[in-house]
Amino acid sequence: MPITRRKALAGSAASAAALATGVCRPAIAASEPIRIGYLPALTGPSSSTGIGINRGTELAVKEINAAGGINGRQLELIVRDTQSDPTKAVNGATELTRRHKVQVMWGPLNSGEALAATPLIARDGVPQMHPCWVDSLIDVKKYPMAFRNAPTNQQVGRAANHYVVNIAKAKKVAVISDTTGYGTASLDAYVPMLKTMGGEVVYQGSVEANNPDVKPEMLRMQAAGAQAIMPWSVNAGFLSRLINTRADMGWDVPIVGQTTLGSGQTKALLKKPENWEKVYPNNFRNCSYDASGKLPPRTVEFVERIRKAGIEMSDTLLWWIALGYDGPRLMADAMKTAGTAPEEIVGYWNKVSGWPGVYGTITWTPELHDGFQNEEVIMCQANSLKEGAFTLAPGYTG
Amino acid sequence: MLESIVSHGLALGAVYALIGITYNVMFAASRVFSFTAGTVGMLGGVLGALFIDRMGFPVALGFLAVLAAGALIGIVTEVLTVRPVLRSLDQHLYVLSTLAFALMIQQFTAIEWSTEPQPFPRLLPIGPGIFDQQFWLPLLACAVTIVGLELLYRRTLVGRAFLAISEDNYAARALGLPEQRLRIASYALAGAIGTLAGFSGGEMMLAYFGNGPLLNFYGFVPVALGGMGSNRGAVAGGLALGLFQQAASFLVGGIFASVAVFVVFIVVLLARPEGLAGAATARRV
Repeated sequence: MPITRRKALAGSAASAAALATGVCRPAIAASEPIRIGYLPALTGPSSSTGIGINRGTELAVKEINAAGGINGRQLELIVRDTQSDPTKAVNGATELTRRHKVQVMWGPLNSGEALAATPLIARDGVPQMHPCWVDSLIDVKKYPMAFRNAPTNQQVGRAANHYVVNIAKAKKVAVISDTTGYGTASLDAYVPMLKTMGGEVVYQGSVEANNPDVKPEMLRMQAAGAQAIMPWSVNAGFLSRLINTRADMGWDVPIVGQTTLGSGQTKALLKKPENWEKVYPNNFRNCSYDASGKLPPRTVEFVERIRKAGIEMSDTLLWWIALGYDGPRLMADAMKTAGTAPEEIVGYWNKVSGWPGVYGTITWTPELHDGFQNEEVIMCQANSLKEGAFTLAPGYTG
Repeated sequence: MLESIVSHGLALGAVYALIGITYNVMFAASRVFSFTAGTVGMLGGVLGALFIDRMGFPVALGFLAVLAAGALIGIVTEVLTVRPVLRSLDQHLYVLSTLAFALMIQQFTAIEWSTEPQPFPRLLPIGPGIFDQQFWLPLLACAVTIVGLELLYRRTLVGRAFLAISEDNYAARALGLPEQRLRIASYALAGAIGTLAGFSGGEMMLAYFGNGPLLNFYGFVPVALGGMGSNRGAVAGGLALGLFQQAASFLVGGIFASVAVFVVFIVVLLARPEGLAGAATARRV
């Protein structure tokens, strides 16, 4: 029987229809890897965080695949380095969701990039998990498939305020920020919270981050009787000037605030190492040493695995590695238990309760996709860094 | 409080004055306000930290290398951003060309150096206290610069040639003065003075790429206050600005100190548009 052009076209159309309706899909799907779209900043100004998180992420994927993967299917990380650039994060997100059709997205890993990329990932209907702190990045109405496995800025501010008022028992507090969007927004958010907790704000002000002399502000704080200083800035120069000026003034007042207070950049700008005494930045309970110098049991076991895997810890932070490790494991649990379809992953995550991560214990509900627990955000001693982890600030129990 | 106002105020004022002089030296040679002045100031701090702290140069060699780098950037500024504009009819394009070059340098510094402030090396084992080097070093640099420029302009033939092209470009050329070479030399000198500002104020302002816009802004104020082209006016304006800014920080505090500085700046310019030390120029009609 001769094959006419019409018959050939009809046959092709039937084959295409079979593919489109999924007649052949189960056989392919059963063996192909599960694609995780991954958007770390591995180069550029935000890369120190991205590189730390990446070590944990790669370890988790390696362990999951070595243990047989997800019901026989391997996990495949499809990585696009955002280069710390929101534009590249947007391009990467679009490529991963549309061209590579990833099952789930991990990242972006910093807020600036997530603010740009999250609406696009939500529009493409791909489940997303990220560790970014900006509150508005999680909104169950706007982004019903986006989940956070890290604290919000509100939780970070709450932990610092709680420490100052309830643990350090400082009632008169000075709150200062730089004039950046982050600084002034933090001041607006945290000062009312501090007052609600019973703190008396005796000084409140914003100064330019590269103002070379903060002594006038410090003298005002001292004259107002401040018993603690809470600076909200990510600028190491600004924070180190506050710390150095406190030492020059011979003023023995605690400085409590954001994680940059304990960063290597801040340390490099201190006039003397002892100026770092009584400086308490944010940190996380599961990745902190207690007063006797011990990590929580599940973290000890994790650190052992990191060491065995030959992962470098001295040039990064334990909590970065830990949060990078938790992300793929939460994804793997969802896909192993519920399936790999977007609604199956989201349905599982919506019911996660008390999930014991290394970085934090996660609980999500359909109404709340912020999973981190308030009590796991703590303050630590800035000058206590040892093998990527800090010691709890004085006063914590348990 | 007074001690802090005087020590910090004068030191900051000296840095602003040096940036003001940088503007003036470039302006005198080309009638162009090059917005690279603050950027080379920023580079003085960054290159000082790079050469001395990271590359291990001795302080004197590091200092000379910083000045040489500043002079080189001055020459590149003249060749790339000023010379082509002076050839065109609309000479005000220099605002765009110099600003664009300044932004390119700033972004390159952010990428290659760091977006975080870095420590600047301690140059001499003197201090701390009000005699700390971070306070008197900018003052010394400012004094040496202004005396040096006065001697150059009043006592040397090259200096008089600089003055001649600044006074009347066409007449100087008609007399056979090599205008282009003198302009290049002026830009090299301005680059060196700009980096001297950043280097001498490095410990106070840190080696930070974000200092460029700040120095551009606050360095322009003494020029406007003191009168365009007047180096003595720039020094007086710079020191007054530093003292006033520091006093405002103590008296009104925070961001209001910056507001106070610019309120005074605007009031002075409304009252004397030619600047406090400048003379109103006659315009041929």
